[in-house]
Amino acid sequence: MSDPRDEERKVVTFERARRRPDPARVQEFAETARRLQRERQESVDVVARALRETPREEWPRLATRPELRNSGALNRMEAEVSARLEKEPQEALLISDLAASIAETLPPDSYPPVVLAQLRAHAWKDRGQALAYIGRYPAALEALDRAEQQLSYGSLTHDRAIVRYVRALTLQKVNRFEESRELLAECAAVFRDHGDDRRYLYCGIGEGIQLYREREFERAYDTFLPLIEVARALADPLSEARIQNNLGYCAVEQGDFRMANIHLSQAMARFIDAGKRMEAIRTERASGRLLVGKGAITDGLQRLRDARRSFLMHAMVEEAGLCGLDIVEALLAQSPDEAKSLAAEVAGEFTQSGFNERALTALAWLRESLDRNRATALSVRQVQSYIASLASNPALEFTAP
Amino acid sequence: MVTTGSAPDFDERQFEALYHEHFGFLVAVAVQKFHVPESDAETLAHEVFLSYLKDPLHVRDLNKWLLGAICHASRYYWRVNKRLSPEAAPEFERIDPATINILESLPNQLAAREALECLSPRYQEILRLRFFEGLSVPELAARLGVKKKYAAKLLTKCLRRAETLYERKGRRRLRR
Repeated sequence: MSDPRDEERKVVTFERARRRPDPARVQEFAETARRLQRERQESVDVVARALRETPREEWPRLATRPELRNSGALNRMEAEVSARLEKEPQEALLISDLAASIAETLPPDSYPPVVLAQLRAHAWKDRGQALAYIGRYPAALEALDRAEQQLSYGSLTHDRAIVRYVRALTLQKVNRFEESRELLAECAAVFRDHGDDRRYLYCGIGEGIQLYREREFERAYDTFLPLIEVARALADPLSEARIQNNLGYCAVEQGDFRMANIHLSQAMARFIDAGKRMEAIRTERASGRLLVGKGAITDGLQRLRDARRSFLMHAMVEEAGLCGLDIVEALLAQSPDEAKSLAAEVAGEFTQSGFNERALTALAWLRESLDRNRATALSVRQVQSYIASLASNPALEFTAP
Repeated sequence: MVTTGSAPDFDERQFEALYHEHFGFLVAVAVQKFHVPESDAETLAHEVFLSYLKDPLHVRDLNKWLLGAICHASRYYWRVNKRLSPEAAPEFERIDPATINILESLPNQLAAREALECLSPRYQEILRLRFFEGLSVPELAARLGVKKKYAAKLLTKCLRRAETLYERKGRRRLRR
């Protein structure tokens, strides 16, 4: 039984911990909060409209528009950058430039110093991220340095971790794995302490990917495995799908095809749960190629055939054709007749869909090689890579290997 | 009500309530766990509140976020302070006599102030002169215009009265 005096002491200790805040600071906090909230609400459509109505080359001029020179607009620009990184990285870079130029020219007394530092740091962080997406890594790291220089307040450790997470991913791209791993571990701890489970998860995924690149497959597997539960707790099927996909790849590399199949099937199911049907099909194709490459021909071919069927069902003729060539390559040694017939099938699909004539020329050359039994895995891959390159360079002439 | 795990949808009064509700705790963590000087701890807590405003809707667990932020802010405080003044580093190692047992004595001082509030103004004055201004019993007697023996007796009486009232106040809090 507890001594009532202990309870009393606890109460007294608790009371002693109570302190009255400075009313001026409470007022500053409330005013800042109200202002940031208002600016966020007012900027919902302002940024998107300004970007839509202004030609891309004139975006830098938007920096002088008063309605864009506030925290709400900068937050919206951060969201616009994030949304464009994958598909329009050049636009993402232009928007991040705009945000950085606005943030840097906000008057020093426009917000409390901590808030101003955050606005500037996030703008520079976005610029660093966009530069990394287009492969300008040294410039990206410089921008991230600028971002970190803003964060000279102890209370901004979470923001610092966000910047350093981007830096860690950028360092991976330039093979500075050791530094990247240290940063990821540091950031993961900060995110965990702040209850930021989503970013904690991303750090784990980043660390696992790095271990995979370093061919530390067992450690990568062990890093990814506990993250499944974190993703489930966050109800984040897309992250779970990516983790399962990565686990599948690690299992393939370790020669555990049974586990690989389980994880890859789970990955596809989660991609579908997340509404990413195309991602699911691409995962199936990639896992099929991987399995074939590792000698698990039957499993691999099954996945490739399933993927090709799905691409055709979605009228994705080009991807179905490229996947068909994966199968042709796998069949070269064990079933050349089937390989020939599939190459003809792909050529027929391309012709029917009015595909680039140059692709048909390359396929004709491949079929001829197959007929003469002179086709090799390398020549199939060269034709495949040539056809894939036509998407970005449709005028590229085919040169027989 | 602000004491929720998730980030609230604010109105102005809630901003203030949030500040009041968590301020004491954040300062106490910085002071007691990390030994940050009290005035600096209050500044750190204020900066933590301001930095929270950047993205409040993405904070899933406010209490955890604030605690994480003040802990990291306190660690950063010492890292920066040590780095900024290398000559101050030995100072951190040297024990300032004024800070010996500060963790024990500070709560006692605070408790003493609280106990004083329970007393009559005259008793408050006697204890303040003796314990806060550091007057000896003869000096106190001279200040009060009484004999030394009576001053000592008066002092004992004030202390007993303060103790009784302070304990009674604590029990009332417990009942609430």
